[in-house]
Amino acid sequence: MKTSIRRSRRAATAVALGSVLALTATACGDDGSGGAGDKGDEGSGKGTITFWDNNGGVRTDIWKQIIADFEKKYPDIKVKYVGIPAASAQSKYDTAIQGGGLPDVGGVGTAVLAEVAVQGALEPLDSRLKSSSLNGKLSQNLIDVSKSAGGGDTLYQIPTSANNGTLWYRTDLFKAAGLDAPTTWAKFYAAADKLTDKAKNKFGFTIRGGEGSIAPALDAVYGQTGITSFWNGDKTTVNDPKNVAALAKYVGLFKKDTPSADLNNDFTKMVAQWDSGTIGMLSHNLGSYQDHLKALGADKFKGIPNPTLDDGTRVQISNPVDGLSLFKSSKNKEAAWKFIEFAVSAAENSKYNESAGQVPANTEAASAAWIQKSEPTQLAAAALNGADTKIVQLPYYLPDWNTISKADNEPNFQKLLLGKMTAKEFLDTLADQLNKAQADWKKNH
Amino acid sequence: MITEIAPARERESAAPQQPRKVRRAWDEVPRWQIYVPLGIYLVFTLIPFYWILLFAFRPAGSTSLVPWPMTFDHFQKVWTERSFGVYFQNSVYVGVATLILTTVVALAGGYALARFEFRIKRTFMLALLCSQFVPGALLLVPLFQIFAKLQMINSLGSVIIAETVFQLPLSMILISGFIRNVPQSLEEAAWVDGCNRLAAFRIVVLPLLRPGLIAVGSFAFVHAWNHFLFALMFLSDQSKQTIPVGLNTLMGADSVDLGALAAGGIVAAVPVVIVFAFIQKWLITGFSAGAVKG
Repeated sequence: MKTSIRRSRRAATAVALGSVLALTATACGDDGSGGAGDKGDEGSGKGTITFWDNNGGVRTDIWKQIIADFEKKYPDIKVKYVGIPAASAQSKYDTAIQGGGLPDVGGVGTAVLAEVAVQGALEPLDSRLKSSSLNGKLSQNLIDVSKSAGGGDTLYQIPTSANNGTLWYRTDLFKAAGLDAPTTWAKFYAAADKLTDKAKNKFGFTIRGGEGSIAPALDAVYGQTGITSFWNGDKTTVNDPKNVAALAKYVGLFKKDTPSADLNNDFTKMVAQWDSGTIGMLSHNLGSYQDHLKALGADKFKGIPNPTLDDGTRVQISNPVDGLSLFKSSKNKEAAWKFIEFAVSAAENSKYNESAGQVPANTEAASAAWIQKSEPTQLAAAALNGADTKIVQLPYYLPDWNTISKADNEPNFQKLLLGKMTAKEFLDTLADQLNKAQADWKKNH
Repeated sequence: MITEIAPARERESAAPQQPRKVRRAWDEVPRWQIYVPLGIYLVFTLIPFYWILLFAFRPAGSTSLVPWPMTFDHFQKVWTERSFGVYFQNSVYVGVATLILTTVVALAGGYALARFEFRIKRTFMLALLCSQFVPGALLLVPLFQIFAKLQMINSLGSVIIAETVFQLPLSMILISGFIRNVPQSLEEAAWVDGCNRLAAFRIVVLPLLRPGLIAVGSFAFVHAWNHFLFALMFLSDQSKQTIPVGLNTLMGADSVDLGALAAGGIVAAVPVVIVFAFIQKWLITGFSAGAVKG
């Protein structure tokens, strides 16, 4: 019995020691310093900087190429790449702002820029840009969107890419039905009707009814009415009677010309459904180009910007602009800024956007040969900079924008599709929330 | 006494007839009334899994409803290009370490709760129960700050500790239930034979707790294996990420590679399925045994 007691003591000691050693061995992390209150330092312009990619995984390969090019040019600077899943980028930033551990440079899209900037985490970039080799080489439209999304006149983000709402359509189905490309709203509705044959499970359009439904709906609404401003004084134009009628017409497509399962469509389901089925048109953005290409091949589909009014005027909402921000807490701002400058230079920005299938922010990159070969990107670039295109600037600068456009109103949009709410009720509710958020924002600015 | 014994005899004599009655009633039910609902249920349950297999094994761009011609390209992509090999190793490490720590600490705590009386025992049990109502997201910032002070950000140890801490309350409650089901007289007999408390526990009680330990351990492993939030927040290096974070990186802001996502999903699910296949017998016994006395 004594032997067994000794054995059990040894076992208990071994377990305890093992646990302690295991924990000690794994505790070789860092201290995660650098929260919102940290003012950082310019640093020596050498050493290691950390970069958070807000679309990690999908863009990892291209960022690693850019980082390799950068480290070749600046051998004294090392870039530590951290890929963050796109859907979790905002919560990762929010936690690091509160708890510490912010990076030196991070990908921050306009959809979350206001929320990060308002917490004092970002370095103003106006003066750095003014004295940089990038000055005058970035699309002024995108700089304006970045400034507006940051909540005022200060630039907190150097834009890298613009996305654009794109109407993808199946050229094979259009040809078989003898239809013209859906370049105008009238042609869009006619095609949606003609391509629908419910008995054969064929539909003209797929509508986004689930997560992310508000922006495409607003794109369709403003595109049809031609109203070019989101605000009329302090009140939003979103519930203008013309917009109400346009929304009612748009949601009228649900179940008539779309699958009934569209009620829960987020972009993943919507794109997968379009890529593998017999649906005529899909309203998404340039980001799904590669998915369509892989699934359908280049000959079976095309992508065009939002349809125009009959007079050729195109009105579309502003799409989120992706970009790079410098964090105030960085201890090596000089090196971090060098990385931003390099990543948005013509050659690297072109390379990045070719991979992402988006419109480059660097105007020299925008004339690259690959854009001339990629029709959807070329058309999007032309639309974004075209004289006939009017862009309705969505209020990304409102700290409540994400809550209003997602949690508060996506369930209402589903009620609207199901006929449990009218288009007027839906837009009046949305307008009321936006007007209040705008009034609050104006009080503080 | 006689009147009390008689009904007992009647019960004994009637007892063997009951299964026959049940069998007859079972025989009277048309088979389709059993198999059709079961079949419908299985179809609803298995179709999503079939779609995952379909997307994982059929070539990109194929619209075939069967995974033929079969390809392993998506698996190769996630395992090598998307570093799932590394994520898998990290997840195994986090899962196994959480399992061991949770089981060892819950065993000690559960024993104390089951065998000792102390003044704040009821309050302590209530606190353990209440801790189950606190979502992990609420504690992210304080945990982040604690781990930052301990220089443990970007270390797998931070995730292991956080997972263990969140697993412990329920595990302790369950294990204390299992230990209460073991008669204390067995331990006392071992004491009489010369064992001290620890030896009696190891020799007499521990073998009887096997179903409970398997239930608690597997629960801790599966939870740590699937948990996304702590790994996302406390780890930064790609070489230290776990499977759930890796799966999320397969879903871009505007683009999803469904083949790779399905293959990644299978890689993530296989260990859990294997664990459950081996332990399901003990798992059910374990949870039901722990549920008898709380």
